[in-house]
Amino acid sequence: MLWKNTQNELIKITSKIRSYIGIGALTVLILLVIFAMQADGKTYIGFVTSTFEQTLTFNGNILNGNLIAFIIMQMLIVHVPLLIVLVTGDLLSGELASGTIRMLATKPISRTGIVLSKWFAATIYTLIMTLWMGFLSLFVAHWIFGTGDLMVLNPDGLLILPSDDLLWRFGISMVLAFLALWTVATLSLAFSAFAKNSVGPIVITMAVIILFTIIGTLDVTVFDDLKFYLFTTHMATWRIVFEDPFPTEDILISALVLLGHVVGLLLLAIYRFNRKDINA
Amino acid sequence: MKIVSLVFLLLMFHLVNAQTVTLQGAIDRINTVKDYKADVQVKAAIPFIKIPITKAKVYFKAKNKFKVVSDNIVILPKQGMSDLNEFLVNPKRYTQVPGEYKMLNGLKTQLITLLPSDENSEIILAKVYLSAKEPLIYRTVLTTKSSGTVTIDYEYAESKAFGLPSKMTFYIDVRKFKMPKSVAANIRSTEKQRKTEENQKGSIVIYFSNYQVNKGISDSFFKED
Repeated sequence: MLWKNTQNELIKITSKIRSYIGIGALTVLILLVIFAMQADGKTYIGFVTSTFEQTLTFNGNILNGNLIAFIIMQMLIVHVPLLIVLVTGDLLSGELASGTIRMLATKPISRTGIVLSKWFAATIYTLIMTLWMGFLSLFVAHWIFGTGDLMVLNPDGLLILPSDDLLWRFGISMVLAFLALWTVATLSLAFSAFAKNSVGPIVITMAVIILFTIIGTLDVTVFDDLKFYLFTTHMATWRIVFEDPFPTEDILISALVLLGHVVGLLLLAIYRFNRKDINA
Repeated sequence: MKIVSLVFLLLMFHLVNAQTVTLQGAIDRINTVKDYKADVQVKAAIPFIKIPITKAKVYFKAKNKFKVVSDNIVILPKQGMSDLNEFLVNPKRYTQVPGEYKMLNGLKTQLITLLPSDENSEIILAKVYLSAKEPLIYRTVLTTKSSGTVTIDYEYAESKAFGLPSKMTFYIDVRKFKMPKSVAANIRSTEKQRKTEENQKGSIVIYFSNYQVNKGISDSFFKED
């Protein structure tokens, strides 16, 4: 019954126009970045290498598909959550707003099952968005710009990673990006369990992401201990995959923190939905 | 008569000795190279930059055309590759001041200081350490307007007849690394990491092999892609 209900939820998602807004916006954004890089990518590289250019020259295919994929991920990891929330923030509250939740609750499935089926559907949608972002940023960029070494600007300086050392790093960064987006999707689902309309959970989730991101980027000591517990801090973990030596421990910790958020927020959504007065 | 002969002999000895350390011999060797291509392996140890050992092909055509072709990203020093040769082969551009003899890695060399004639020259001062035995440069200390001081050590092997080195070691000044704010907002960065970087020394070692000299390279090859 849980799987059948998940299928129903997926059908509902695919029948809504807003589900395609995210994918469409993602496609347009990535194609725009690729176009901009093809037109004026050397300026971007100059920004990265300018500190060293008085004494050094950088030769070879610097503006390649790997760099473009990295740039796209860096630009979009902040914005893609907002596109996902448009769909996942509506999953429970949308049913309440339209009144279809009453019919759904009469089905031979528990309330926990209803939340889980919606969460599975949200997970699949998030996965599709991540894979689409990965396909466009990595494969399309490679097709247009070719392959090559990746030049990354880290806090320690400039790191150049050989092209044959990159595919697995992109794979892991995509997994971490998925974990980050999954956390956001589950957060909006949890807010959705509290709300009676669609707009509330979407706006609140966006506000939380913006608030946490600002706290995370503020260079004041008072927030130093708090930053570790903010999921937005760990949403940037995909970037440290491109460090050398590979920071295994930091990545595992961040992955566990994000997974912890997913589980915690899902339990909150289940708890809240089970106690919700649907007849009211 | 004996005194005159002795003075003549001393004068001849001095002239012969002076001939061995003139820069012209090295310039003549450099001038025999109209073009070359070579395989290079670049090993860079530069502060704030982490890069693996890379391979590339370098192409040169007199007087100053130089191109690097590689599948990898290759970092090379901005000064001291083709621009130094271009400066050296035109003696009108500088005044030579012979200096002291110095042992470099067990080899007797003479310091020749080159003072540019043009007040707007990019090269402010060049110190060339020339072998006392053969017309080869074993060290250059280049002071430039934009790159500071670059020291270049040379080693020679099979292409020494053309004055082409088998190994060049560059010692360069790397300026203070400024981290862009957008990148500094990294979860693992610290204030300490961001503030302690001052000017430091770095080195780039280039190993040359498979020289193909004077085989002819088209001018169009050096045009930007």
